[in-house]
Parts: sequence; C-alpha cells; structure tokens
Amino acid sequence: MIDEKIRQVMAAVFETDANSISEDASPDTIEIWDSLHHMNLVVALEEEFGVIFDDEQIGNLLNYKLIKLAVSELIES
Amino acid sequence: MKALELKNLKYTEILSKNKLLGESLSQLPTYKISVLSNIITSQLNNILEFTIRNQNINAKAISGDYDNIVQNSQVYNSSDVVIIFWELANLIDGLQYKCLTMTSHEIESIIEKVKKEIDFVFHALSKTPLVIFNKFSTLIFNNAFLKSNQFDDICNHLNKHIEQNIPRNFFVIPIDKLLAKLSIEKSIDLRYYYSSKSLYSVDFFKSYAQFIAPIILATNGKSKKAIILDCDNTLWQGTLGEDGLDGIALSSNDKRGVYFEEVHYLIKTLAEDGAMVCLCSKNNESDLDEIWKKRTDFALKETDIVAKKVNWQSKDKNLLELAEDLNIGIDSLVFVDDSGFEISCIENSLPEVTTLQVPKLIHTYSSLVREKMALFFTLTKTSEDRKRLEMYHYEIQRKNEKKNFDSVDEYLASLEIKTSIYINQVEHLARASQLTQKTNQFNLTTKRYTEIEIRELLEGGGYRIYVLDVSDKFGDYGLTGLAIVKINHPESEIDTLLLSCRVLGRNVEAIFIDFIINDLKKLGINHVFANYCKTPKNAQVVNFYEKSGFDILSSSDSQTKYRLSLDLSKQ
Repeated sequence: MIDEKIRQVMAAVFETDANSISEDASPDTIEIWDSLHHMNLVVALEEEFGVIFDDEQIGNLLNYKLIKLAVSELIES
Repeated sequence: MKALELKNLKYTEILSKNKLLGESLSQLPTYKISVLSNIITSQLNNILEFTIRNQNINAKAISGDYDNIVQNSQVYNSSDVVIIFWELANLIDGLQYKCLTMTSHEIESIIEKVKKEIDFVFHALSKTPLVIFNKFSTLIFNNAFLKSNQFDDICNHLNKHIEQNIPRNFFVIPIDKLLAKLSIEKSIDLRYYYSSKSLYSVDFFKSYAQFIAPIILATNGKSKKAIILDCDNTLWQGTLGEDGLDGIALSSNDKRGVYFEEVHYLIKTLAEDGAMVCLCSKNNESDLDEIWKKRTDFALKETDIVAKKVNWQSKDKNLLELAEDLNIGIDSLVFVDDSGFEISCIENSLPEVTTLQVPKLIHTYSSLVREKMALFFTLTKTSEDRKRLEMYHYEIQRKNEKKNFDSVDEYLASLEIKTSIYINQVEHLARASQLTQKTNQFNLTTKRYTEIEIRELLEGGGYRIYVLDVSDKFGDYGLTGLAIVKINHPESEIDTLLLSCRVLGRNVEAIFIDFIINDLKKLGINHVFANYCKTPKNAQVVNFYEKSGFDILSSSDSQTKYRLSLDLSKQ
C-alpha cells in the first residue's frame, strides 16, 4: 500500500507513470530529479501521508528505498 | 460548474491534472507566463498553469533564473505576462535580521540601490502586455514586533517608490491580504527557506494563483459579464408568495434582512462597473413588480436590473434565453440561488455557468458574493461601462420593437442609426483594448490586446486603428466597433475587426467595412487581405467577408483567408 502510494507521488512529481518507478529509483536513474523536484517530492509525500519530516530526515530521502523507510518510520510513530 | 476549489486538491493531483490539461489544450496557442524572483518559487508554475488551463487557455509558466530579476526583465519581456516575486528578506542574504544592526546610511544605500533596480525593471518591461508585481511586505518576519524597525523602513520606502512610479501595464498585488487569509504559518515553509530560499508553501501558491487568475483571465476575454439572481431566500429572507410583501426581510430594518442588504450593495457595485444584473425567479411577475412600489427600503432598485425572467419554466431555459437576449456567451454568467436543486440542475445542464448557492450559514453570504465578484474583474474602466445598463435596457426594447415590422429594411430604417468613425485617436485606446478583451461573437480574428500593445501599434506607424461610435433612436451606445488594419503600401491586412454585442442586428457592420474599404482606397491601397479565425463563439461571422465582396484565397477548418482587390480606376 505504502509502496503504491509512494510510486504514485513520485510519478506525479517526476511527470512519468507509476510503473516506471522501480525499486532503485534515485536521482541517478531519474533525469528530472534535481533539487527543485526533490523539494516538490518531499512536500507531496508530507501531504499524502500526513507527516512532517525534520531537516535531517529530508536530507536522507535520497532514493526510493530510503524514502520508503523514512515514511514507514514516521507513520508507525 | 463547481468552482475550482484548489484548496481541496492535493499537490500531486494538481500536477497530474495539469499535465493532462496541457495535453488536451496543446493545439491552442501558448499563453506565456514568466515568473521572475529573487527566491525560489518553482512550485507556483504548475499550480498557476492548472488554474488558467481550467479556463481553456494553454498557459505555460516558466521561472527566470534565481535572483536575476533585473537581468531577466530584459530577457523575458516578450512574455504574455510577467509575475515578479521580489522578496524583501532576500534583497541581501539574511536582510530580515542583518538590517536590525545597520546604520541609517547603510539602510539608505540599500534603498537607493533597489530603487534603481526597480526603475530598470519598470523600463525593461514597459512593453510587456501585463506585469503582476507583489507589494513588498515585512509581515512574515516582523509580525511578532509591536514596533516597526529598519526592515519596515526599507519596505515602506520601496512601496512608496512603486506607488509613485508604477507603469500602466503593471498591477500591484496586496500580498498581505493573502497572508492574512491563509495565516502566515500556513503560507510559508521556513525549512525550505533556510535550505534553498523557497519561502512560500504550496497552499500559499494555490491562494495566490486563484487571487491573480481574474487579472489574467480578463486579458483573455474571459471575465464574467452577468449575474443572475433568484429572489426568494436569495435577495431576501422569506418567500414572497407565502410571507407577502411585508413579511420578507430585505433591509437592516429587520435583523434577518441585514445579510441581504449587504449583498444588495455589492450587486449595485457590480452593476456600476458594467456587469449586468438579472433576476430569474419562479414567481408571479405581478407580485414581483409590487416590491419596488411597496418596499422603499429595498436597496436594489428596479433600474439596477437589466432583465427579468419571472416565470415557471425551468431555470436552464431561462439562462439560455438571457444569454441570447443580452448577446453574451453562456460562460459569462454567474448564477445565484438558495436551492440546491436549482444549482445542481444548472451545474448539470449548463456546466459553463458559474454557480453560487446561498449558504445556510447566512452570515457568510456576503463574503461568498465578494469572492465571486472577483470573476468580473476588468483591467480598464471606461465610460462605456457606466452606459452599459441603459444600453441593455435599450437593447431589449429594440428587440421587442423589431417584432412590429414586416421587413428588416423597414425596421432598420426606423431605428435612425447614426455612426461616427474615428481613426488613430489616442484617447480611444483604452476602450479599444477593452473591446478586444471582451468581444467574442462578432470578432473575426479574436486577437486580444492590452492598452500598451495597441499603443505600440499606433506609435509604430504601420497600422490604422478605426473606432466606431453608434447611436440609434433608443440610445447612444458609445464606442462599439474596432478595426485594426496593417498597412504595407500598397497592400493592407485587416488584423482585427469586431463589433460589441450591444450593436448587433443593426447592420452597422456593413457601414463599418464600407468606410474602411473606402478609406484604404483613398490611401492608394490595391489589396485588402483579411482572415476569419474560427472559435467556438464566432460562428455568426463565418461568411462576413464573403458577403462583403471579398474573394476566398484559402480555406481550412480553422481559418479562411480572403482578399479584396480595390479597383482604383473606378473612383
């Protein structure tokens, strides 16, 4: 469930479809993923999951796997 | 149509929908929006595009370079609209706190430097059709202080400079209103300001986009023109048929009526600015007529109302008839009713109509009306706006009289139509620009011009601008026709030809085109080229040039090109 939602958010922010977001999605594999889009991604994730990341966590949202980890942690707590 | 409630859409939904909308509108010409700022405002772009694209305009928004407003003002000046976010706090990195220990000399230097930059930008963008400029504000950083400080000094000096020097094509946005509406806390995200100088939140940008949309829509001919109101429980508390003339509450004499009285005054303002106020009520017409005789405390006067549909037929039929009577598009209407049934009926059968349901929390009614009033926004006000009300009364009178004549010619002759045509008059430019922005039906090419753009054409020397004034026995309609002709001796091309809906049905278009052709003949022009560009609203002029004697050069689904050869030997 979280997987799918994260993929949908990333698809909207990176202007692609959810299917093309793979497990190793990162700024290296997605060309449009620059610092501006990264900011948009964090804002969109916070809205989707109703969470707020602190500055340290924002810095750790480096790729799909780490995002999934951070989001799951925040949701659990 | 349900009002576009951006605040109910998630950011990702706006992104996805914006992409789809962009694809569906891709055949339309792009409306170029450039956003210049000294902070990061990239999140605004998609949100603004989405807001404008929802009105069928193919908007494309791009950001200038970070903190390069001055340099960018020279690069992006050919956009359709430039939006400037000049954040006080980032005039110098950390100004919001660094200024607190600066000497007055240092403060003055900053003010002088920025004033010069502002002047440069004013000049560089002086030919851009529209520039939207946010007023400087200290609200975000200074809201906790009881007293003002150097930050406020800088702010006040710069705002004063803007006020005194603002060019005609600039529109200043009172950004504090938006911060107040949303709350400062919800408007900003300081995490991103410190890390990447992105100050405003997505929620703020949603508010901002909706706030400025009417300005952009007005320059694209999309402002609303008429407000159609139900009567019972919309213009007064109570039902006329049941509570009687004395039982309904419609003024501050009655504590239930004060909510409605405020709305009456708001509607009167709309009427004064040129909007048409109409009634659409399921009532007996005779009962309604009594109101103005008996209730002298009714702030809305009978003369404020342009047309009434008081009958028992369905309201969607009535709205269609009103649009027809008033010669305006159905999408120029705002419909107000207390009944959820009537509102959803209109939303279903006429989705282009904007609806407003009178709220159950009646104390919020006037605020909702104020929000809808923004949709009637126009950039320039001209004296033609004030004449509008009389004009529409005359129009309905005229249409009624038409029914009395056997032949159209007899009828037209009886009207005693008088026309005057003015060429290249500077004082008509504001009205000419307004005509290009508002006229959708009798409009051959539907090109929109701001006042600045028309002035450019005039000053450049290669164009001839004809403005038509019409009156008949029913009234004086004012400047209601426009033609812009490009002169490239010995050829010419009609860039724009339009007639206001107020003067249709009088055959003045024939008078106008004849005059223009004769004028061009006198100038030694050999050929007059012209175009018909098809839009959803101008089908009535599809054959106009053909009927006027022009030859067809080429024809496609969307455009027909014409040429008229002026036989100079027959003078």
